[in-house]
Amino acid sequence: MEKSFVFKFLGLTFDLTGIIGSTLMAAVVLFVCIWLSRKVEMKPNKKQNVLEYLLDFTDNIVKDNVGDQDAQKHLSLYAFVLFLFIWFMNMLGLFMEVKAGDYMFVKSPTADPVTTMSFAMMTLLLSFTFGMQKFGVGGYWRNYASPVSFLFPINMIEEITNFLTLSLRLYGNIYAGEVLLTLIGNSLAPSFGISTLILAAPLAMIWQGFSVFIGSIQAYVFVTLSMVYIGKKVTKE
Amino acid sequence: MTFQTLFAASGHIYLGNTLWYLIVFAILLALVKHYAWGPVSDMMEKRRQKVINDLDSAASDRKKAEILANEREAALKNSRQEATQILSDAKANAEKTSSKIVADANNDAASIHDKAKADAAQAKVDALNEARGQVADISVAIAEKVIAKNLSAADQKDLVDQFIKGLNE
Repeated sequence: MEKSFVFKFLGLTFDLTGIIGSTLMAAVVLFVCIWLSRKVEMKPNKKQNVLEYLLDFTDNIVKDNVGDQDAQKHLSLYAFVLFLFIWFMNMLGLFMEVKAGDYMFVKSPTADPVTTMSFAMMTLLLSFTFGMQKFGVGGYWRNYASPVSFLFPINMIEEITNFLTLSLRLYGNIYAGEVLLTLIGNSLAPSFGISTLILAAPLAMIWQGFSVFIGSIQAYVFVTLSMVYIGKKVTKE
Repeated sequence: MTFQTLFAASGHIYLGNTLWYLIVFAILLALVKHYAWGPVSDMMEKRRQKVINDLDSAASDRKKAEILANEREAALKNSRQEATQILSDAKANAEKTSSKIVADANNDAASIHDKAKADAAQAKVDALNEARGQVADISVAIAEKVIAKNLSAADQKDLVDQFIKGLNE
């Protein structure tokens, strides 16, 4: 297994792979967004159409799962950026893996449970915030005990399982994709000289294509489930 | 798979990354909102409003046009009726005038005819009277000439009466 470059700063442990990958992809998302929205007009040009299509797409995810009008407005931006960010992070490992010696420097940040848990935690905290804004602190806690009071522990456990499934689903999909890609590239390709090298090329290509598909689906699923969890908190059952 | 291997190859739980992701994501949210999401969603909202306005104004324009067309049709109908009215009035007037003219003409003709008749009768009477006077004169002159030839009074009277009888016939 590859090592990653870990350093300590202010008492916190940092992993350089995730930091490089996420920062890089954040920059890419930002540049793509700025590039697509350079000229915003009443009659949309081609680039603006792309951006508006994406925005419509994420807005629809929000509208389908969150009933509250106020929350919809706030979540539109969150869903849009989250989707693009996760999608780009999923794609990063497919075309670029930078290794120096034994250390891994660039790969998909989402192939790391800490990353996906960070985003799942963000969603979780947002859902708490929206729920408390909507019902007040007391009302929010009472919602855990509805419709019947003995469901309270089950609802509490559901909170944790939601968080775990949300983060580990994304992590597992992307990580598995990368493992298989690495296996094809590092182990299968050089195993029997030139013949397996030729065999490995189309396999890698097919798997990359499939991973693009999986990465897109997972980004969509992540955003959708985030909205479902938040939506559940702002609607009374 | 142990908990250690789950958290990457390093074997550390790096909470620093979580913090880093939060910060990066927050910055990304702010920047995307400022540069892309804000303007584009504003524009989409504006466009939505514009489409709504355009649809509304198109509907009201159509209604206005319909009302105008109805008014125009009604005006056309009215003017047609007026034209017919004017025409029939004119016809009636013309008929009245023409019948009046004919009646006047008939009256005039009748009166002229009567007057002419009366004039003729008068002229005849006058002529007769004048003739009578002249006849008397002539007869006196004749009588004088006849007296010269010794004519009796009775003969003279017969003569005059015969003469007048001859005039009357």
